[in-house]
Amino acid sequence: MTHEHAWTRLPDLLADRDQPELLAHVASCHDCQRQLFLLGRVDRALRGSASMRRKERRRLGRGRWLRLPPGIVAAAIAAAVVVLFLPHNASVRQLTLRTAAGQPIGRAILDRSGADSTSLTLVARGLPAHRGDMFVLWAAGDGRRPTTVGRFMVAPNGSCRARFNLPGGRSWARFWVTPPGRPNAVVAST
Amino acid sequence: MIPQALDQAAPVPAPPRASDAELLRAIGQGSEPAFAELRNRYRRAVEHACRQIVGGELEDCAQEVFMRIWRKASLYDRSRGSAPAWLLTIARRTALNFRRRRELPLPDQRADEAGAIEAPDVDRFWVEAALERLPERERTVIELAYFHDLSQSQVAAELGVPLGSVKSWTRRGLHRLATLLDEETT
Repeated sequence: MTHEHAWTRLPDLLADRDQPELLAHVASCHDCQRQLFLLGRVDRALRGSASMRRKERRRLGRGRWLRLPPGIVAAAIAAAVVVLFLPHNASVRQLTLRTAAGQPIGRAILDRSGADSTSLTLVARGLPAHRGDMFVLWAAGDGRRPTTVGRFMVAPNGSCRARFNLPGGRSWARFWVTPPGRPNAVVAST
Repeated sequence: MIPQALDQAAPVPAPPRASDAELLRAIGQGSEPAFAELRNRYRRAVEHACRQIVGGELEDCAQEVFMRIWRKASLYDRSRGSAPAWLLTIARRTALNFRRRRELPLPDQRADEAGAIEAPDVDRFWVEAALERLPERERTVIELAYFHDLSQSQVAAELGVPLGSVKSWTRRGLHRLATLLDEETT
């Protein structure tokens, strides 16, 4: 194994130490040992940060529920029960994705084959490829607040095909695409 | 006062490659672009630090932290510690003062420990800012893996890209962070 190859693969050791050839190189290479030490610190910092974020999310989530009036909480639970026990039609629905000028550039295909989740396939051509070719897909429905479905990459020619899983038991009415960090700059929508 | 224009303006594309210590030195000499860059890097980290101590009123607290950084940057001495450690100290002290002045209740038990700054605290504070310096693809795959607990295959499916690309961006991003960590904290 060359030094360059070993160096590239050093981050793999953070998740899996069972790589004898790579470890043998590291054992005899001071630069790789130093870099692996730094990678370990980065890994621990990221895990620590992730743990803090989880705690904050839990705390905020708990607080949010506690702040809601009991009537609203009861109504939400009742609505969830009704939705869970209503018969769901397993069906496929297609929505056309259009630019702000109204030009069709793709489609969002919803497949409600499972009770727990809805599969969404986004296929598009001609999305403006910029800002690192990355976009965010948003969804709205049931009169709830818009939610981000996920991020996806676009090829330099503006085409993409991405799959997402949406929570089941909800009616999704509209999808739209924005650049990351600019939720109001809608590039295309259904 | 904190430069007014920086409150509304988009981050100035100022020395993105400069280390945090170099930015602090430039800020100490009155460089507004350097201040905008540092603020852009550390906004999220400072808000997290404030949230631990203050709970709510994050924006006001973070604003006060950056105001203090603007005023005190010339006092930063690299020989006495790393830039992230200095910034975290300023952030926590400012947040503690902020809380006392407003007589806010303790948000959680961690606020008791807010005075003691340990190396892992500094690394966590630093990594939030360092992520802002990564190319978007590398930052996204790392955030999805660490902050959203997704496997590399799940990240690939989420982004609709080949697994090999995710592996390669993750490796590159982690290497870049390790190099930045070496520059900032040694």
